[in-house]
Amino acid sequence: MNVTSKEQARKRTQMLVELRKQHDAQVKQAQERLKEQQTIRKTLQRAMQGAPRSVPQLAAITNLAAYEVLWHIAAMKKYGVVEEAGMDTGGEYYLYELSKEAKG
Amino acid sequence: MPDPTAESQTAAAGKINASSPAGAPRIGVYVCECGGNIGETVRCEQVANALGKLANVTIARHYQFMCSDPGQKLITDDITEKGVNRVVVGACSLFLHEQTFRKTVERAGLNPYLYYHIGLREQDSWVHHECPADATAKAIRMMSAGIAKARLMQPLAPVHLDADQRVLVIGGGVAGLRAALSIARRGLPVTLIEKSHFLGGHVAQWEHLFPTDEDAAALLEGLIEEVIAESKITIYTGAEVVSTKGYVGNFDIRIRVQPRGVAKDFAAVDQAIAACPVQVPDEFNFGLTQRKAIYQPYVGCYPASPVIDREHCTRCNECLRVGQNGGIRLDEPPVEIDLKVGAVVVATGFRPYEPFAGEMGYGEFPEVITLPQLERLLATNDRLEWNARPVRRLAMIHCVGSRQIEGMHAPQPDGKVNDYCSRVCCTATLSAANRIHTRFPNVTIYDVYQDIRTYGRGHEDYYVRACKNGVTFLRHLPEEIPEVIRSEKGAEYPLLVKVKDRLTWGEEIELPVDLVVLSVGIMPSPISDLVDMLKIAPGNDRFLLEVHPKLRPVETAVAGVVLAGTAQGPMTVQESCAAAEAAATKVAVLLSRGKVELEPYVAQVDPERCQGVGECVCVCPQEGAIHLETRIENGKMLRRAVVTAANCNGCGVCVSVCPSRAIDVQGWRLDGFEAMVEAITAETPALEGVA
Amino acid sequence: MAADRLQVDTIVIGGGIAGMQAALDLADQGYRVALVEKNPSVGGKMIGLSKVFPTLDCCSCITTPKMAAVAYHDNIDLLTYSEVQSVSRNEQGFVVQVLKKPRYVIDDACTGCRSCELVCPLDLPDDANEFGRTAHRVIYVPFTTAVPQKALIDIDQCVFCGKCLQACPSDAIDFSQLPAFLEIQARSIILATGYQVTRYDAKKQYGAGKLRNVIDGLMMERLLAPTGPYGRVLRPSDGKQPASIAYVQCAGSRDETLGVPYCSRVCCMYAIKQAMLLSGMLPLADITIYYMDIRTFGKGYEQFYRSAQAMGITFVKGKVARITEDADQNPTVRVELIDDHSQVVERKHDLVVLSVGMLPGGDPQALYGVPTSEDGFVRIPNYNVAPATTTQEGVFATGTAIGPMDIVDSIVTASAAAAEVSAYLQSHYAAGSLTDAERSLIHA
Repeated sequence: MNVTSKEQARKRTQMLVELRKQHDAQVKQAQERLKEQQTIRKTLQRAMQGAPRSVPQLAAITNLAAYEVLWHIAAMKKYGVVEEAGMDTGGEYYLYELSKEAKG
Repeated sequence: MPDPTAESQTAAAGKINASSPAGAPRIGVYVCECGGNIGETVRCEQVANALGKLANVTIARHYQFMCSDPGQKLITDDITEKGVNRVVVGACSLFLHEQTFRKTVERAGLNPYLYYHIGLREQDSWVHHECPADATAKAIRMMSAGIAKARLMQPLAPVHLDADQRVLVIGGGVAGLRAALSIARRGLPVTLIEKSHFLGGHVAQWEHLFPTDEDAAALLEGLIEEVIAESKITIYTGAEVVSTKGYVGNFDIRIRVQPRGVAKDFAAVDQAIAACPVQVPDEFNFGLTQRKAIYQPYVGCYPASPVIDREHCTRCNECLRVGQNGGIRLDEPPVEIDLKVGAVVVATGFRPYEPFAGEMGYGEFPEVITLPQLERLLATNDRLEWNARPVRRLAMIHCVGSRQIEGMHAPQPDGKVNDYCSRVCCTATLSAANRIHTRFPNVTIYDVYQDIRTYGRGHEDYYVRACKNGVTFLRHLPEEIPEVIRSEKGAEYPLLVKVKDRLTWGEEIELPVDLVVLSVGIMPSPISDLVDMLKIAPGNDRFLLEVHPKLRPVETAVAGVVLAGTAQGPMTVQESCAAAEAAATKVAVLLSRGKVELEPYVAQVDPERCQGVGECVCVCPQEGAIHLETRIENGKMLRRAVVTAANCNGCGVCVSVCPSRAIDVQGWRLDGFEAMVEAITAETPALEGVA
Repeated sequence: MAADRLQVDTIVIGGGIAGMQAALDLADQGYRVALVEKNPSVGGKMIGLSKVFPTLDCCSCITTPKMAAVAYHDNIDLLTYSEVQSVSRNEQGFVVQVLKKPRYVIDDACTGCRSCELVCPLDLPDDANEFGRTAHRVIYVPFTTAVPQKALIDIDQCVFCGKCLQACPSDAIDFSQLPAFLEIQARSIILATGYQVTRYDAKKQYGAGKLRNVIDGLMMERLLAPTGPYGRVLRPSDGKQPASIAYVQCAGSRDETLGVPYCSRVCCMYAIKQAMLLSGMLPLADITIYYMDIRTFGKGYEQFYRSAQAMGITFVKGKVARITEDADQNPTVRVELIDDHSQVVERKHDLVVLSVGMLPGGDPQALYGVPTSEDGFVRIPNYNVAPATTTQEGVFATGTAIGPMDIVDSIVTASAAAAEVSAYLQSHYAAGSLTDAERSLIHA
């Protein structure tokens, strides 16, 4: 890193600190939301580690409502964290597993 | 003041880069998934990978929607950043998006004709839905052929021609009048022709219009007055097209104008009509009344002067005896007029469905009439009487001549039934029912229907009012067609309507009535000659066909020929006017700049090879497209074929007969075809491991 | 990029299919057009649909080229994420104040690469485009085919972590952006403000929006679209692939209790179309349409209805009285089977779709002085003959702003509006109400 980009990075950090201060109440709320979301995502990812899971299975494991699980799965699928992995034996529910990228 | 739009239009024209890109072909290949339309069958990624290995292919990509902005951006970025100078897209039909992608490559500075379109959807994924592997292999072959052609493609420039700005509007009903008015107000001259001798079409026959509850005559009068006042509009009544030639911007159209046979200033109109001994059914009243051979359809018609019906005139000369010498001219010949127009609006309208003899008692029992006849009955009478008897009970039956089922309904002479909904009859029927209720509150009205389709703005209100007015509704299934039979002798009501009514548990109900009104559907006016002359096409339902209901909803496949109103399908007055205005807009887009652009796919002669045999001239089906010219070169007389690009339609017949392969169609050269055939049939290495 | 002051022949309000068509039709004739859209992308409701009746063309294939065309047209100034603040009249027509909302992303710099979106840590429900069934990030490009392809930030949800600043290859992010104002001098105005659907939670008898497996037609469009939230049809309560799907027609139209007495005109056809698409995607599923009247009135529509019947879709005449759900959240409809001796039965389905109707997109009275009719849509005084001309001189309306209509009719009506506007403009220019200087300003 050269001097100018260091300088830029410092300015950028400063600006972000300012912005956080400016929007304090709202930032705190968003941070809460983010924390909660990250916890749920971790739980879901753990639940999928062993085997592909359906939405009702994930709901049972995580104690979340099935519709909430579905939202997280849709979001994680959109951003490449999970993939579809066929259907359950009853042919009613799709199964989901962590994507290769998410598995690391 | 000059046309405000002229300046920016000139700027828009003629900016195509027709110079040849330097260097070897660098082909960009794009496989569109078309959402799932292609992608669910053809493995687009595999196709792109395979094609990427072919010679001259600089980049091969696949994408969900090539036609979207990000999809188009892939192409423009590759042109500017990767030096791509030929583009092949495999996507939907070229009718949908050839123009889209031409504009895309043009935006990036490439000649639009250095782009080639392969129809992977219609020609591959849709027809091979069951076998994805084969469809994928086929896609690769099709695209390889496109790439083979692309290697040989040369920049082309579209043919720009001066266009006649005059527009011919065929049909003087509400759609034709509206179209003429809008076009003229946009600043383009219009010739409006009407086959009958009076303007107004069918709207003149209705007394009342929904959903505005307005007086039809007043609406029409207003519109006609505006049309007459417009100096840019020339009107011919009694006029028909007899021949057409040419193409968009340059149509030569001959019309024949039948004489009225009566001078404009003829004063003794009433006496002449009275003197005429001929009696024929009056079509204006749908045969409910009689008229003479010299007649005016209705009071307030335009033009107001009467006309002589030559088909029925017996030339008895009675009318000549009422005075004013020269006012009546029985021997006046028709006049033919040649028009040069840039575009044609077809507003030929509809005719009501004519029930077969015996269909629901029509033609069999005099107490069965059609809804148009009822409208005339209501318009011309103060009382509701039929055969001099008051109508106490009346049944209206929907969907006569609409929503027909093959095998159950008798077909038309062309062997087809009317399987479409005529759209306007439900509200028209309920409107009539409500008016009858208002004028004759004691009349009992039955309404026999399958589905009530009061769909439009304000239409449902007619249904609600009819319910409040005590109209009794009976609903039957499509396959349980109601019957109309004669009552037993001495019965109080002459007819019985038998309906299996699904609103009362499928009970078979008999309705004794004085009058049965059939809500007949809409059929296109018989215009097969005109259709042939203009080379346009009707659809399965016989109405004229648009290119695409959403992309080009009022344009036909023939450039410069557009549709307005019920020639295209059943419509209300409002919908006809909207369609007519849309037609006017399309015409304005085409002609307001005074120039048209034609595809450069025209024959081209290689003078080095041409021996002047003239086979091409003999077989060419287009007048003035190719001729032989003699010139002297180095003391020798040479004969060479010369193409007039504007008249050539690129059919290529000349190519097939030339003994010296001296003629070719630009953009579709033989070497291109040969390369494509070779690519299609080749043992392509690209196919390895696919099928 | 638009300047701070713009002079145009027409300002089109609303970048849905009708607004885009009207804008293109006028721009193609050489008129200068400003197209104002309140959302971050043009495309309107149409771009959210799956396939369109009666041709079953993929909706994107019809819409996206028009979206690209309005963005690239030399004669169109496209203003997305912008709203009209005020309108006043002057000698040359109208002065329209437009507020350009901050995207916090510099339009000219953003390439739509989505690098920012991929690193943003927080997912938010995508309410605007997906009815909250999937997510977008705090910084996001609205959807794959959005025009313009530019990111924006939901500033109220941002934690200002700065990841996007680092990821952006073109330094396009600007947290200091403020709303910008633009003044547009327009000779005429076209209102193409579109529609909204009847709220699916409006009807108590249909669960008032509390039943998770009762959705509306637009939501089903997203489930059917290849770009939709799940990429397939799953029911919202638990992601089950539905084996039995029912449509309730006239759920929000022809219903005095909801104050919507009129027919919404499109619901029969979209229900039939969706049923056909569903039976293609889920060949084993039972699909039932409960209806009052089937109104397939347009060109090729009746034939479309017949093919749906031939495909095995069940049509049941009967108005659904009530929808409830069981313990597994399966919706149960109570309906009188009119064609079957009017028995009243209860039937269980996995998923119920309410064929909701169309309501006006907004009230133009306050801004434009344009009155509406009793049905809430723009009043057109000469409805039959001049279907786009409002009571206010120089103000025109088109598409679903003048009443429920399908896409075909919206497009035709939009072209009709273009005809009325061009005639209006010609009459003004012919009358010389603009000086040559003004003229050259407009077409400079």
